[in-house]
Amino acid sequence: MASSAFVSWRALAHGHLLPGTVPFVRCARAVPVLALCVVACRAASPRRDAMSADDFGEPVARGSAATPSRIVSLMPATTELLFAIGAGPRVVGRTPWDLWSDSARRVADVGVGLRPNIEAVLAQRPDLVLLYATGENRAAAQALRAAGVAVMALRIDRLEDFRRAARLIGMAIGDSARAATVVDSVDHTLARVRSRTAGLPRPTVFWHVWDAPIITIARGSFLDELLTIAGGRNIYEDLSQPSPQVSLEDVVRRDPDVILAGPEGAARIRASATWRAVRAVREGHVLVVDTSLIGHPSVRMGEAATVLAHLLHPGVMQ
Amino acid sequence: MKRASFWVLAVAILAVLMILGVSWGTVSLTPRAVLAALAGRGDRNAIEIVRALRLPRVALAALVGAGLGVSGAALQGSLRNALAEPYLLGVSGGAAVGAVIGVALGFSSAVALPLFAFAGAAAAIATAILIARAAGGRADPRVLLMAGVIIGAFANAAIMVVLSGAPANTMRSALWWMMGSAAGADWPQVAWLAGYTVLAGGALLWFARDIDILALGEESATALGVDAERAGRRVFLVSSLLAAATVAAAGLVGFVGLVVPHLVRAAGIRRHRALLPGAALAGAALVVLADLVARVAHPPAELPLGAVTALVGVPFFLVQLRRLS
Repeated sequence: MASSAFVSWRALAHGHLLPGTVPFVRCARAVPVLALCVVACRAASPRRDAMSADDFGEPVARGSAATPSRIVSLMPATTELLFAIGAGPRVVGRTPWDLWSDSARRVADVGVGLRPNIEAVLAQRPDLVLLYATGENRAAAQALRAAGVAVMALRIDRLEDFRRAARLIGMAIGDSARAATVVDSVDHTLARVRSRTAGLPRPTVFWHVWDAPIITIARGSFLDELLTIAGGRNIYEDLSQPSPQVSLEDVVRRDPDVILAGPEGAARIRASATWRAVRAVREGHVLVVDTSLIGHPSVRMGEAATVLAHLLHPGVMQ
Repeated sequence: MKRASFWVLAVAILAVLMILGVSWGTVSLTPRAVLAALAGRGDRNAIEIVRALRLPRVALAALVGAGLGVSGAALQGSLRNALAEPYLLGVSGGAAVGAVIGVALGFSSAVALPLFAFAGAAAAIATAILIARAAGGRADPRVLLMAGVIIGAFANAAIMVVLSGAPANTMRSALWWMMGSAAGADWPQVAWLAGYTVLAGGALLWFARDIDILALGEESATALGVDAERAGRRVFLVSSLLAAATVAAAGLVGFVGLVVPHLVRAAGIRRHRALLPGAALAGAALVVLADLVARVAHPPAELPLGAVTALVGVPFFLVQLRRLS
């Protein structure tokens, strides 16, 4: 419907939510048979041949001698990570969506992270650029490398991707220990939330990302994992994409107990006549999530899971 | 085909498709469950699916189809151009620009949006006709069509400029809307579109004799005492309003206005007093069918409605083009 189609909705407008982007799985070159290769890729969680390749399969230089001092980070997840491991002062460029922490806001905004503006990035004279590993960014990665800038392309969609990205970034900036500490602390919080919600009944949840067309969260996204940890069950956990398009009729059939939405999305759902077809809407179970906290697979996932657990099971985290 | 049998067949096909449209969807319900839901009995979710989602959606699709069919028939007649239709003439594109501007200015109601769309549509069709005239007259149907294509391209560019700074998801919604969709239909929207369709369709029916005479050519019209210029302008304006109302309700749904009048004429119906209602029925049937395909082809996702109609319409357009040349 046109009326809701153009409402500006900023949070979550980030690479990992764009469907149609296929992970670039590079298999171990040592394995000659394609079939074996697929099995190997599925079995081992690091998707590349070694710990030290990025998600376009390019080698990642180890820190120390050539430790980068001017970093442009073109996705919120890596910007948050850099600030968390104390490399914030080295960040000289970010996207309009990278608003955490407060110090990050003072970094120059170089525009969007998908098909980035190469000139704007180069104007910051970076010696390392971090970008989201998707087909749309391949040309940008090549152009930046041709200009002599180190590039690390990372596809951060799931919890495991975050851990891997933290390891690689820690290695690249020469501070693996602090990167490991940050990952440990996220994992520790997640484990705490998981144990608190373990025995509780699990409400079924529809995660509303966008409504024209209707886009939700499915198994390919870290948000699905956070939901599970927080004691909920995603009604679209059977779909493998990160953020598939679905029909309202199908949402009604799957009959979620709860709907999670950003503030604007929740307001539109509550005001809509068609969304009243969903039981959770009629019964007033539309819960507002802080999309600026929960939108990015990064260092605040522990906090995000805590907030989600609290929304789904009030009082459980006290 | 006998004319009487056309009417019986058209009404029957539309009725069957509307029943299918209410019975089928992403969620499969037994006929018994659908009947129970219509009566307000049985499972609450089934009731909601049938009464709150499918019924308004089928009604909206039927109205969009009827509006586009009538608009296409009136434009083809008055322009004496077998390839005229709102989408190809750039009218729908102009309407989309108008609607986007309306939304950007903060208007989003089912009442106001068609008016913005109408302003855009009227500007588009006026420009198309001016270009065609400057390029050597409306007599050659291909010139007008080319003008329409140019306007459509310009409209697309204008929308892209407006949206260039928008976040990825807004952009995606805009593109989705421009491909046409009846998803998200609700009763107030259906009521407003019905109002616009009845008003504009009624007006065109009122002008039916003028359209018949315009279809004979400007000279004959003058000889028969009709001010061809004025009559033509009235028909363009009202047809544009009708097309614009459908664009505001369901985005760009192309080729319906092209295909439908030809189908009705093939049944031997030539006079516009009968052709227009015939095009309304056939258009409604076509779009209800296209929306059904859009819903059930690839569940739980939906296809854009305009993509489905274009898949049917483009081959048809090529056949017509061949026949013309």
